[in-house]
Amino acid sequence: MSTNYYLPEDNAPLPPKHAEVLTTACDYCIVACGYKVYRWPLGSGNGGEKASENAFGIDFPSAPLQDWVAPAQHNVVMHGGVPHNIVITPDKDTTVVNTNGDSSMRGGLIAQKCYNPKTPTRDRLTTPMVRIFGTLQPVPWDFALDIAAAVGNHVIENHGANAYSVKTYSYQYVENTYAITKYARRHINTASFTFHDTPSDVTSTPGFRDAGFDNFGPSYDDWGSAETLLVCGTDPYETKTILFTQHIMPAIQRGQKVIMLNPRETAGVAYAKKHGGLHLQIFPGSDNLVVGAIARVIMENGWEDSEWIEKWVNNNWESSSGFGQGTRNTPWQWRTTWGKFQTKGYEDYKKWVMAQNEYDPVYAAEKAGIAVEDIYKAAEMMAKPVNGRRPKTSIGIEKGFYWSNNTGNTEAIASLATLCGAGGRPGQVVGRFGGHQRGGTSGGGYPRNKSPEKVPGRRRRALDTDRWMVSGHTRFAHVIGTTWIQSMCGSQGLEKTFHELVVANPHQVRDYDKQAIIDTLKKRADSGGMVVINQDIYLRDPIGARFADIVFPAATWGEEDFVRANGERRLRLYSKFYDAPGDSKPDWWIIAQLAKRMGFDGFDWKNSNEVCEESSRFSRGNRKAYHMIKVAAHKEGKTLHEKLRELGTDGIQGPTFYNSETGELSGTKRLHDTTLTQADLEKIGLADGAEGANMVNKKMTHFNSQTGKVNINKHPWNLFSDFWEWLSPKEDELWFSSGRINEIWQSGFDDVERRPYVTQRWPENWVEIHPDDAAKRGIESGDQVMMYSDRVARHKNTILGVKGDDFQFSSLMKNGHIELTKAAVTAVAIVTPGVKKGMMYANMIDMRQPSNALQAAVVDWISGNYNYKMGVARVKKLGESKYKTEFRSMSFAPRNIV
Amino acid sequence: MSTEVNDKKEKSAAHGKCMMTRRSFLMSSGAATAVSTVGVSLFPGAANAAKSMAEVVGYSRKKIAKLSDLKDNQPFDFNYPDGVRNNQCMIVKMGGAQAGGGVGKQKDIVAFSYLCTHQGGPLQGSYKVAGDQRVMGQCPFHLSTFDLRRHGIIVSGQAYESLPQVLIEIDGDNLYAVGMLGLVFGRSTNLKS
Repeated sequence: MSTNYYLPEDNAPLPPKHAEVLTTACDYCIVACGYKVYRWPLGSGNGGEKASENAFGIDFPSAPLQDWVAPAQHNVVMHGGVPHNIVITPDKDTTVVNTNGDSSMRGGLIAQKCYNPKTPTRDRLTTPMVRIFGTLQPVPWDFALDIAAAVGNHVIENHGANAYSVKTYSYQYVENTYAITKYARRHINTASFTFHDTPSDVTSTPGFRDAGFDNFGPSYDDWGSAETLLVCGTDPYETKTILFTQHIMPAIQRGQKVIMLNPRETAGVAYAKKHGGLHLQIFPGSDNLVVGAIARVIMENGWEDSEWIEKWVNNNWESSSGFGQGTRNTPWQWRTTWGKFQTKGYEDYKKWVMAQNEYDPVYAAEKAGIAVEDIYKAAEMMAKPVNGRRPKTSIGIEKGFYWSNNTGNTEAIASLATLCGAGGRPGQVVGRFGGHQRGGTSGGGYPRNKSPEKVPGRRRRALDTDRWMVSGHTRFAHVIGTTWIQSMCGSQGLEKTFHELVVANPHQVRDYDKQAIIDTLKKRADSGGMVVINQDIYLRDPIGARFADIVFPAATWGEEDFVRANGERRLRLYSKFYDAPGDSKPDWWIIAQLAKRMGFDGFDWKNSNEVCEESSRFSRGNRKAYHMIKVAAHKEGKTLHEKLRELGTDGIQGPTFYNSETGELSGTKRLHDTTLTQADLEKIGLADGAEGANMVNKKMTHFNSQTGKVNINKHPWNLFSDFWEWLSPKEDELWFSSGRINEIWQSGFDDVERRPYVTQRWPENWVEIHPDDAAKRGIESGDQVMMYSDRVARHKNTILGVKGDDFQFSSLMKNGHIELTKAAVTAVAIVTPGVKKGMMYANMIDMRQPSNALQAAVVDWISGNYNYKMGVARVKKLGESKYKTEFRSMSFAPRNIV
Repeated sequence: MSTEVNDKKEKSAAHGKCMMTRRSFLMSSGAATAVSTVGVSLFPGAANAAKSMAEVVGYSRKKIAKLSDLKDNQPFDFNYPDGVRNNQCMIVKMGGAQAGGGVGKQKDIVAFSYLCTHQGGPLQGSYKVAGDQRVMGQCPFHLSTFDLRRHGIIVSGQAYESLPQVLIEIDGDNLYAVGMLGLVFGRSTNLKS
């Protein structure tokens, strides 16, 4: 491909017998399908169509479900400085995850991710750059690193560690995240630290945390062996594709009933409905009401799982009055004032739910915009015993749900799960389906005590890095593998602040001397401005292109050996198979060079395996603990990476254990596994508890709570209802929400602009509008529209909470901490009955027109997360896009056709 | 249901010329003629193992249906580009819905491969009318759906290539398949040497 136009080709080379074969997993979504990389030198001869002539060992044309090479699965890369063909196809031999070699479109196209200057990847960053005379100019590593370290140290010494803000991805391989967190949290020790998807380093699912559920306890088999599956805030076909096609879809064919709770009907929802499923198509943010009402119907009918509750739910003594250090030391008390969430056990919870008028199914259904019968039907499907036998029910949630009313929704769903007996049994589980893969290993604790942010009740909360920056406290912004701006709420307001602090500051580099450059940037920081450094694989606009003073080019997937886990904690080695472009280096290397220049010790790694081996002990006890892989590897005279490479695409599920008697390395199918027997434990070498470096903790056989049993918690609607009522559409406004779509899910950071095939499908920002709403506004599919609002709420100050409700939205508003700002985003309209009437649904991030610009920049006041799905906007037609009349790209066909 | 109307192959220089015209027309931009599979020119000194794009010269011209036999929104099956394997195709007149690459007065006659470009799932029987949209899918294997008004691009799903579109020519009442855009699932080339 030499252009961004998709021009279908009608042939593709087959890998020859002499091709080398390496394993990896997809770089994108949480599911992490296993892939094989076939590599052979250019000009050494391609494979033939006979089984004896190609690396697959099959005859071509191949049969359905057999290996095939689509033209987009071939690329040419440099390996050891020599051009090589590569073909990357799903691994047909894998027995897990993408069983039999299934693949998503994102992964299917992943060969196109590799740098090849002939393709749209040609703009990969290949050299460090420093902004001199307004232009980012290539410089040697030493030059860029010396400047960054000198200015960084100056900021820490003169303005404190919290003036050095680090905003980083949480997921891009354990080697990198370990190095980054060791640098930022252990050495710089800044409280102004957070990950790509939240303004502050806080838990994504407070309700799971409080109940004692790990986000990723279930195995993929569990989602398949449930008889009723409640899916909240996602369509797992759109996002988590292969989890759906390989685990949920076959289950549906066997009779599994799926209930989907979300505002939009897409392919998976339509498929589930066709097979006896139920779609609760709700308005954004009304989930809590519906979940509470379902819980109420279950308890009114006595359908709750009494046996499970009796055995596994904390009672008054265990949850409230006396156990251990008591409730003071439970996580919910760190987030809010006492009494809002904890109960004295099941009966107390039941009493509370029954007393809440908003959980009356009639009220809940009306607010949510669904039929009240559907609430009763959902309760029946989930919990009503048939012939004396309860259905095996599981619950999976994702961002549409937990980023709508973060605390309220997750507390509610955790309690509903417990009522249904979902938690720690095969087919009866609760968890997140997931977004990015799990590639975080902590190299240092978050210094919470240094955070000036305090919620009522003297509890400190992780610092909100957006508000901290807007308030002018951030003097040095170190941004790693994220856009910061577009991915946060109220993005256009945030961008304005970046501009004021960086570009509009008078101290700009207009010199050729390194020391003079350093001095200028120091002056910028001292004058109240901000210096920005950015590590990434492409130059991002605006964080890199407009704001960064220094840009470091990163090497990524396929360019270094890396380790990461998927949504069932499955660890794999992601093999290096080609040369990183130009001078780009992996993030761990960049961080190490910077750290050494700043005078920090412990950054002398020679390769990524050394980083991984150092990090492994910090994984002990967590859900993807990989330390015992290292123990096993060293026993066998191998490195950690080598041992993991042997495990190929099947990998191993964390936490891992090593049986020193048998020399066997074992993984863990599910967490909170209440069905594990003594014999199971003996087999993995844990007959007498942890032995050697093995670490066994509560979450293996119990839950993550003070007692190991589940907390059944309240989930008050009124913590959120004032915001919801204020936000609800007025006059001709519509709800405005956003989210992901299958074709670019978790891959938009590099495929939507750089795969002609993807670009033709989604060439521009888009928004779905219901036909009735569209007709009223004279909008048709293909029209260019403007979505706009003059009431984008933005919490503008870093404040201290004193009174109990100081952070409640209505109090913030009353006390003048909320400013209402304007925002506007254009898009191409897609008129479809798939989206609920009264709302719009747009792409979650188009870099050019981020939907988040219209979403309220007000965090969930209990947890500190943004509720990204909550917004309102008006919409009007601007004119017609070319897609309305041409027939090449951007389909307007509905996604819910079955 | 596959019906062989006419398996006679017509290869000629004139046909090749005609093909170029058709292909240019289909891709609308005129920029569609030179597509190389690998960036060999980037690596001076490396042997050139890439096959040149031969699709515009080797396809057979095959009579597949009569215009007067086509009924609105009822696909008619045929085999193309050859008689080997992985050759199940359909042609359909989409009831006046204009399409990229569509022929006929209303530009609503299109032809596509029946093999899903994800894992080769059979798309027979999945042609659908949804308002003014025309799709094939969901594929029974993994639910991919393709937009027949837009050169078979993916609507929703997994496939890594658009559904291969068969190039059609009209000659009086006869419809001829004359080439294909895109590689048919399971093949390494559409053209057997």
